[in-house]
Amino acid sequence: MAEMWISMGPQHPMTHGLWTLKVKVDGETIVDADPELGYLHRSVEKMGERRKYFMNTTLTDRLCYASSTTWTHSYVLAVEELMEVEVPTRAQYIRTIMLELQRLASHLMWAGAYMPDLGHITGALYFWRDRELFLNLLELPSGSRLLYNYMRIGGVKRDLPDGFEQKTERILKLFEQRLDEYADLFENSKIFRMRTEDVGKFTGTQAMNMGITGPNLRGCGVKHDLRVEDTYEIYEEIDWDICTREAGPGYSDCFSRYMVRIDEMKESVRIIRDCFKKMPQGPTMSSRVPVRASGEAFRRTEDSRGEALMYLVGDGSDRPYRWKIKSPMFTTISACPHYLKGYKLADIPAIMGSIDICIGETDK
Amino acid sequence: MTLFGLCKTMAELTAEKFIVPVLEFQRNLFPPFSYPAGDLADWFASEGGIVTLAWIYAVNIAFAVGMTNLILVIHLERKIAARIQDRRGPMLSLRAFRELGEDLAGEAPTWRFKGNYSGIGIIQNMADGIKAITKELIIPNKADKFLFSMGPIIFISSSVFLLVLFPLSDRFAASAAPAGLMVIMAAFSIAPIGVLTSGWASNNKYSMIGGMRSAAQLMSYEIPLLLSMAGVFLLAGSYNPVDIVEQQREATWLFGLPMWNFIPQFIGFIVFMICILAEVERVPFDLPEAEAELVEGWTTEYSGIRYMLFLAAEYIRGFAGAAVATILFLGGWAGPWPVPPEIWFLLKVYLIIIFWIFIRWTVPRIRTDQILELGWKKLLPLSLINILIVIFMVEIYPYFDDIVNLPEVF
Repeated sequence: MAEMWISMGPQHPMTHGLWTLKVKVDGETIVDADPELGYLHRSVEKMGERRKYFMNTTLTDRLCYASSTTWTHSYVLAVEELMEVEVPTRAQYIRTIMLELQRLASHLMWAGAYMPDLGHITGALYFWRDRELFLNLLELPSGSRLLYNYMRIGGVKRDLPDGFEQKTERILKLFEQRLDEYADLFENSKIFRMRTEDVGKFTGTQAMNMGITGPNLRGCGVKHDLRVEDTYEIYEEIDWDICTREAGPGYSDCFSRYMVRIDEMKESVRIIRDCFKKMPQGPTMSSRVPVRASGEAFRRTEDSRGEALMYLVGDGSDRPYRWKIKSPMFTTISACPHYLKGYKLADIPAIMGSIDICIGETDK
Repeated sequence: MTLFGLCKTMAELTAEKFIVPVLEFQRNLFPPFSYPAGDLADWFASEGGIVTLAWIYAVNIAFAVGMTNLILVIHLERKIAARIQDRRGPMLSLRAFRELGEDLAGEAPTWRFKGNYSGIGIIQNMADGIKAITKELIIPNKADKFLFSMGPIIFISSSVFLLVLFPLSDRFAASAAPAGLMVIMAAFSIAPIGVLTSGWASNNKYSMIGGMRSAAQLMSYEIPLLLSMAGVFLLAGSYNPVDIVEQQREATWLFGLPMWNFIPQFIGFIVFMICILAEVERVPFDLPEAEAELVEGWTTEYSGIRYMLFLAAEYIRGFAGAAVATILFLGGWAGPWPVPPEIWFLLKVYLIIIFWIFIRWTVPRIRTDQILELGWKKLLPLSLINILIVIFMVEIYPYFDDIVNLPEVF
C-alpha cells in the first residue's frame, strides 16, 4: 500500500472528544501525524470577562466534564490570591477531600475510556461502575453529579453532610478491594501488557521540553507534582508521596502511564483518609469576600491531567479584566507527532488514550 | 435410524402422497403441455428423485438446527457478557410487555426496573432482526456497487454453507464426506475473500485496512491451524469426521479412561484453539474489525440487514469452529450412554463457545504485527512439534499396547 493520510476524527472512537488526528500511514506504520484542535472552542476566557468573579465558577466547571472541581478550584485559588482572601482551615480540608475524590473519579473515567481503546469493553464497565461510587460521594455535599459548582471564592458551598466520613470510608474500602481484583485483569494480563508495553515512548527530558505534565510526566520517572512543588491547600500537612513509575531508564510507555494513574488513585485514597483524620471543626466560608479586585494573580495547580495554570488580571471592577487558562492537554496533544511516529496504526488508540485526553479544557 | 434414512422415508412419503399425484394431475389436466410436469412426476417416482429430495430435507434440517443454535449462541453471548460486566443483559419477554402495559395503564407509571419483569430476553434477537430489516441499505457514493454487494454474499453464503458440513453425530449428518474436514476448512477460508472484497469496494480507508488485515491474518493462522489438524488426521487415518470420532471413541488410556485427542496431542489442541479463535475472528484476534482504531473496519459502510447478516455469519462461523474443535479434539459425540450423542456433541460445542465468550470479554485485542509474530514464530513450530509427537506415537504404540490402546492406523 502506498503512503496515505487517514483522518481520525472529529467523530472517531479514538478521539475521546472533538478533535481530528490526521495520520500518514505506510501500510500500518505511522509516518507522520497532525493533530487539529478547536472543534470545541467556547471562548470561556472571553465569556469570563463579561461575568462577575463569583459567576465564573459555573464556567470553569464546564472546562472539563471529567474533572470539573479541580478546574473550579484552580480558578478559585487565583481569585483568592487576587482578592487576598483567607480561607478557613476546615474549608481547605474539605477542598482537598473534594479534589482527591474528583481525581479518583477522573482517573476512573480515564481508565474506563482507555479499555475500549484496547478492545476491552468489560474494563470500561468495571471502572465506570466504580466511578459511580465516587460520583455518589461528590453528590452528597455538592448536590450534583457532574458539574458540582462546590468551590466558592473564600471557601466551599456548604459543610460536609452528616455521615459523609463513614460513607466515604466504606466506599474507599470497597474501591481498594476492587483495585486489587482488577490487577489480575489488567496489569498482570499478558495481552494487556503486550498492547501497552514499549508503545508510545518518550523520555522525561522530551516530556519537559514538549510541555507534558502531570501523570504523563510522572510516568517517565520525573518526581514533579505541583501539590508538593507549589503547594496549596493543606497538601503539605498530609502524609502522602508523589507516585512515579518508569518503563525504563527515564522514559515512559503506555503501561507506565497506566500504572502511575493506578498508583495515584491509591495515593488519593490515602490522602482522603488522612484528611478526615486531621480535619478540624470550624467555618467553611471566609467571613470577608470582596466583590471587586485589582492587580494580577497567577496560580498553578495539579489537575488530574497535569498542570492547570490560571492567570487573572483585575482592573478594580467586579469582573476580571483578562483571564487566561493554560491547559495541560493542549501541549500534550500538540506534541503527539513526536510520540506517535514509528508505531502501528493499532497503537494510536493505545497511545492517545494513555495520555488522558480531555478536549473541553484543551479547546476552552 | 439415521438422519438420511429419516429424510428418505419422508421423501418417499411426500413424493408418493403429494408431489407425484399433483404432477400427474397437471399432466392429465393439460396433456399437450405435459412436458415438465410429466417428466418431473417420473423423476420423483424414481430412486434419483427421492434421494435428491431426501438430501434437500437433510440439508434443510441441518441448516435449521444450525440457525436455531445461532440464536442461542447470540443470546448466550449477550447474557454471559452481561453477567461478566455486572449487568443483566436482555430481559425482554412477552410477559414483561404485559406487565409494563399494566403499569402504564395504572395512574402512576413507574419506569423503574422491576424484579418481576421476568424473562430471559430471547425475543430481543427477533426485535433486533426486525429492526435491521427495516433499516435502509446504504451504498456509498463512489463505492464499487457490484463488489460492494458481492462481499456480503461471499461472506454469508460461505458461512452458512458451514452449517451443513459437520455432523452432529454419526446418524445425524447431512454430510459425512470422506474429505469432510478438508471441505470445512476450505469453506472457512472463503470468507476472508469476502472481507477483502467488501473492504476494498467500500471506498473507505478504514474498510480497506480492515480487509488487508484480514488477509494478513489469514496468512498467519491458516498454516499452523492446518498443521495442528494434521496430527489428528494421522492418528485417525482419515479426513472423515465420523472416522475421527470413532478413533477417539475407541482409544483408551489408563484404567480404560477415554483418550480423546486433546490428551495425547495437547500442544496441537492449544495451537488449534488459538488458531480457530483467529479463524472465526473473535477477540483477541478480531483485528479486521477493530472498533477502536478502524471503526468496525470492513463493516463500516454496511447497514441494515447486510450488517446484521455479517454479525450472524460471524456467530455461525464461531459455532462451526467450535464444532470442528469438538470433532477433532474433544471426542465429538462420544460420551456415556443415557445421553444421546447429539446432546453430547452440542454440550461440548457450547462448552467451547462459553469459554470463548469468557475470553472475549476479559482480554484486549492484540496487534497485527503481534498476531503475525505469534503465528509464524510460535504456533508454527509448536504445530510441527505436535506432528512429530504424533508420528512418534503412531510408530511406537505397539510397545505400549498394555497402557495405550490405539486403533490400527498404518
